[in-house]
Amino acid sequence: MDGIITNALTKNYGSLCAVDSLTLKAENEIYGLLGPNGSGKTTTVRMLTTLLSATSGSAEVCGYDIAKEKSQVRSCISYVPQDMAVDIRLTGRENVDLFAKLYGIRDKAERKRIVADALEVVNLTDRADSMTKTYSGGMKRRLELAQALVHQPQVLFLDEPTIGLDVASRRTIWEHITKLKKSGMTILVTTHQMEEAERYCNKVGIIRRGKLIKEGAPAFLKADLKKEIITVKSDGNLPQSLPEGVTFIETNESGFIFSADKGSNVLPELTAAFEAEKSHVIYSSVREPNLEDVYMQSCGDDRGDNIPFDDRQFRNLMTRR
Amino acid sequence: MYRVFYYAQRDLLRWIRAPLNVVSTLAMPAAWLIFVGLALPTRFTDNYLDFITPGILVLTMLSAGLSGGSSLMFDKILGYLNKFLAMPSPRESILFGKILFITSRGLIQTTIILLIAILIGATIQPIYVYPITYLILFLFGILISSFGTTIALYIGEHDTYAAVSTFISMPLFFTSSALMPYSEMPDWLNVCAHLNPISYAIDAVRSVGAGTFPVFEMAFLLSASFVMVLISVVIFRKITVR
Repeated sequence: MDGIITNALTKNYGSLCAVDSLTLKAENEIYGLLGPNGSGKTTTVRMLTTLLSATSGSAEVCGYDIAKEKSQVRSCISYVPQDMAVDIRLTGRENVDLFAKLYGIRDKAERKRIVADALEVVNLTDRADSMTKTYSGGMKRRLELAQALVHQPQVLFLDEPTIGLDVASRRTIWEHITKLKKSGMTILVTTHQMEEAERYCNKVGIIRRGKLIKEGAPAFLKADLKKEIITVKSDGNLPQSLPEGVTFIETNESGFIFSADKGSNVLPELTAAFEAEKSHVIYSSVREPNLEDVYMQSCGDDRGDNIPFDDRQFRNLMTRR
Repeated sequence: MYRVFYYAQRDLLRWIRAPLNVVSTLAMPAAWLIFVGLALPTRFTDNYLDFITPGILVLTMLSAGLSGGSSLMFDKILGYLNKFLAMPSPRESILFGKILFITSRGLIQTTIILLIAILIGATIQPIYVYPITYLILFLFGILISSFGTTIALYIGEHDTYAAVSTFISMPLFFTSSALMPYSEMPDWLNVCAHLNPISYAIDAVRSVGAGTFPVFEMAFLLSASFVMVLISVVIFRKITVR
């Protein structure tokens, strides 16, 4: 298999289980790994890119075992971490050329052509000879993609590729990713951007506290939810008792968010529940669920960064990341 | 292993393109040379500049090695290291490339300091002295840059490493044979200087200048740098492959 396949992949840091029996499969698709901070996304990517060794379980990337055939795995993958790491005192071309050299392309003429092609793919030819310190965040990210493409990897790992970028740059990055997938590549992306995952990923996996709790095509996951989303803006508190079939999801800047099988049917009862507690409903709406709703229903208010663990364990974890 | 050169080339290019970094690391050894080498009144020699120059050359390499130690740590903090580690090239080539870069940079800096020393009055030595001096400084550079890189990688925090580096460098320099001959030292300093690895490099450079080949000191530097590089590899593997 050319893509990624994991079987009960587990990583423990002392008593902290960062990834718990993760089993997933991705082949010639854009696979989005979603989850709260600290849920194990980056640890998973680092195990698959051979930067961390698994505590137990197994995984194959491009058909090679990540524990026994590390060098072969690294030959057929590229990894772009979330830190934007390009050498600012080198030009774009020099940055890509360095990677081509490190990937073992020693013939100068061939390397020149490959570097030019990689820069062309990410639309950086015009600025290729400018110092990277003059690049915008989006350009730096595209340059990282060009670096990752010089050896034509079969599997590409992107850790939060659009973090900190503006809307237009994010769209450009995703367009490049989609193009790469069309060329036959398998791409594993970790992201917090639900809308992007919904729009561009062929399959998403939602990971919580190291466990894969939902997996499938975004449309499938939304259909699986079989519920509508109700938003209620009120000047009061959440009612003590809710009508039957209504589930409270979260409170956000839009108001109180609920889910129900038939949102329109239960809305009058829900409004009555607010008014029964002397709260006035300012605004209410019912809509189809999106991927963010699937995510919120799966992860709820779980914030990985709230999970307490001792300082030493945290320091060890950060050292290893 | 050709990748070692690519990694070193990358760092040299980045360093040369930041002129302030090039000048700033030379300031302290140059100041020692000018303000101490020329101005300090001494009884044991008529040309203190000639006496102190080997010490300052080694000090330059010491500072270059310890300050360069943070380079790999910064690559780790800033995310470069993970990108390099995910490549098929042997991972140790990252470490060796870094040691080669720091040592080469140190040699460039010592050349500038040597030229300054000659300009302000140090005696020009017979031509054979310089290649051997460079060999000694190269071995010492390997020793100190692998030491600095390992400590920095192990500590993992740049402010703590800066403190450790300062804590190490000054006492090492002052308790070496850089500033005065063993015969002029108080007993306690004499003992410290004989135990200090910096003294071996300084004594070796002085011996070459005096016309003898420093077999013992060279053997010490060779074996010490070999052991230090081995320790670096072990720590590097431990830190990077979990």
